[in-house]
Amino acid sequence: MALPYLIYVRACPICKEGLCRVRVCTASHHLVGCVICDECESVWTDPDMETRSIEKDDTYTASCPECGLSLWDEACHWADIQEVCLLGWYDKVKVART
Amino acid sequence: MPRSQRPSTESMANVLRVLPARWAITIIAVLIAYVLLQPRLNTWFGWQLPSIPAMLGQETPKTKNTPASKQADAKKQADAKTSQTQSSTTEKPKSSSGSFKFGILKSLGRDRYESPAGLVYGPGSEEGHRLQHIERHLQDDPTRPGSHGVFQGTMEQFLIAIDDTYRRARGHAKGTRTRNEEAETIYEAPFDESIGYLGGSSGSGQKNPPLKRMRVVVRGKNLITAFPIP
Repeated sequence: MALPYLIYVRACPICKEGLCRVRVCTASHHLVGCVICDECESVWTDPDMETRSIEKDDTYTASCPECGLSLWDEACHWADIQEVCLLGWYDKVKVART
Repeated sequence: MPRSQRPSTESMANVLRVLPARWAITIIAVLIAYVLLQPRLNTWFGWQLPSIPAMLGQETPKTKNTPASKQADAKKQADAKTSQTQSSTTEKPKSSSGSFKFGILKSLGRDRYESPAGLVYGPGSEEGHRLQHIERHLQDDPTRPGSHGVFQGTMEQFLIAIDDTYRRARGHAKGTRTRNEEAETIYEAPFDESIGYLGGSSGSGQKNPPLKRMRVVVRGKNLITAFPIP
């Protein structure tokens, strides 16, 4: 379900167009968070965006830094405010109404 | 032959028997000339002359090309075009054997398509396919935070502009830029005229200025995204 707000860290330093947003993976039965650009799909392991997570296969599909599942799989979704708080990232993000 | 058509044929034969031979020959000659000329006259002058079988009730006459029927035909064509456009832009791209997706993309199988410049459009992104992902840049999203480059044109024109950017930037043409990141290569190229405008909340705040450059992000030969930029 689409959220009435959009949580993002900042504009993407790679494509300079997309928003780096928090996406969570629940495939391993615990919350794994990462930051992904919604335009060029560059992935970082945390909102400090210092460490990039680059998939090693040739599918060119953004994947979970922990389990490797596609971040577009049903087990993954855009984080809501509660999940951002659980990850301890609330003070690193901006919230915009959509 | 249906029974209902016999009387008219027979009555014509009876009329010919009663007429003098000279008249009968003249009528037959006129009929032959009409049979030969009727389709050509219809084609040349846009007339709707009925054929002899149609006049004898052996063929369903064509619908007259009245303004009303013309309008209906035009509407049908427009609807067909619209539905074709909608299906080509909103549905998941389908492999069409022997034809090109959006006029220029060659199917590689497994839902992957190759452009004339060699860019590959495949499954991926939140939308499910790169073609659907870049399609977001054919319209504005004024509530989106930051900028959102909008290409003004059709999907086919967008794909051609992306190919043009990729080709020129790889050839180090004047005004182009190439940047290598860890996994991506980012190409930029200028255009002589505006190709779109700046959308998003940033664009609407600046009264949507026109954009004359394109940025293309690829991984290997796989297109990730593309959009007009300032």
